[in-house]
Amino acid sequence: MVGNGAMTIWWLGGILGVLCAAALAFVWVAVRIGRGGSARAKDTPDYTKAAEEDVEHIFNAAFREELRNRGRLHFEKIIGENAMFLQQDLRLTTSQLNEYMKAEITKKLQEEFSKYEQSIMDAKQLAIDSIQKTNQAIDEQRAQLSKQVQTEIAAEKAQVLKHFQENVAEIVNHYLMAAVGNQIDLSDQLEYILNEFETNKQAILEDINRGA
Amino acid sequence: MDTRANLANFSVPALITSPADVSRLRREIKALDEYMHQQELRTPGAPSAMLPKLSRLLHDLATTNNLNLLDAKTRGELDGFLADVAAHAPVVHISFAVDPSSAFLQKIVQWLRQNIHPSILVRVGLQPSIAAGCTVQTTNRYFDFSLRQYLQQHRKLLVDGLTKLGTPETAALPGPEPASKETA
Repeated sequence: MVGNGAMTIWWLGGILGVLCAAALAFVWVAVRIGRGGSARAKDTPDYTKAAEEDVEHIFNAAFREELRNRGRLHFEKIIGENAMFLQQDLRLTTSQLNEYMKAEITKKLQEEFSKYEQSIMDAKQLAIDSIQKTNQAIDEQRAQLSKQVQTEIAAEKAQVLKHFQENVAEIVNHYLMAAVGNQIDLSDQLEYILNEFETNKQAILEDINRGA
Repeated sequence: MDTRANLANFSVPALITSPADVSRLRREIKALDEYMHQQELRTPGAPSAMLPKLSRLLHDLATTNNLNLLDAKTRGELDGFLADVAAHAPVVHISFAVDPSSAFLQKIVQWLRQNIHPSILVRVGLQPSIAAGCTVQTTNRYFDFSLRQYLQQHRKLLVDGLTKLGTPETAALPGPEPASKETA
């Protein structure tokens, strides 16, 4: 790029030098013709025609074509430079636009992310509140259930104990019967039975007399 | 005929305990009557019927009352007495856990006849669940002299004993009132 730029400057300098040289030559020729013409006009009235011929001779078709080519090249060079400047501007603009877009998108994204984060935080807080309420309800229900179960267990225990106490005589009697039932002799019970008869003698006697 | 007066004519030995014994005695007396009647009708030389075997009950009854069973009138009176006993003597139902021996039952019947009624009869039943003791059922009342009832009456002692064994909750609960001894 730097090499092309230096080459272009040298080309431009060369063209400008040629143009300046051509202009100086033209001016010098015109001055010489003017000086000699005014003197020689008197002598030679065909100088104008000669000058036109010289002009035609100097600015001939090849020279004009050369100038046209140089002008075209210069125009192309200018167009190229402008295109380069335009490209640079376009790149700069694009870069700025990218930066702007990036900043805007980042800003928008941050805003959206903030909103999204806020929404998530709200949802999280809502979920936490809901979970806390649920936990609280579960704790209350568990406490109530535990209390109820304990009450029922206590009632059941009391019922079992009461039932046991009510039937303890039957239980012991059943145990004794199973354990030593075969070893109990009626003869050993005679005294106990007769004592019981004696104790209830009056009741038995009254019932016998009444029934008889 | 006065039943009580008739019942007072004889005494019932302790060996005769149940209405079934009385019925058996009546059958034996009838058999003896029949034998005596056949002997009166028997012509000399004709084969004689066998003398019915008398049970220990009848022998004891005759011995106790000093009766001559060869006398038809005495047998008739005894049969009438037994009929009155079967019809009017008070009967108590006594249940034991096991089948009582004859001697044991005689002692029970002897006490009953000395203290309750001289002709009282006893029906013996079996009730293994009472374990020990007996239950007595008279005409209108029921007396429970069993070990079960004894334990039932002393249930508080049982509960207290169990409480001391390591069930402190047992002592906190009020125990039910003991059941009455007699059930009408």
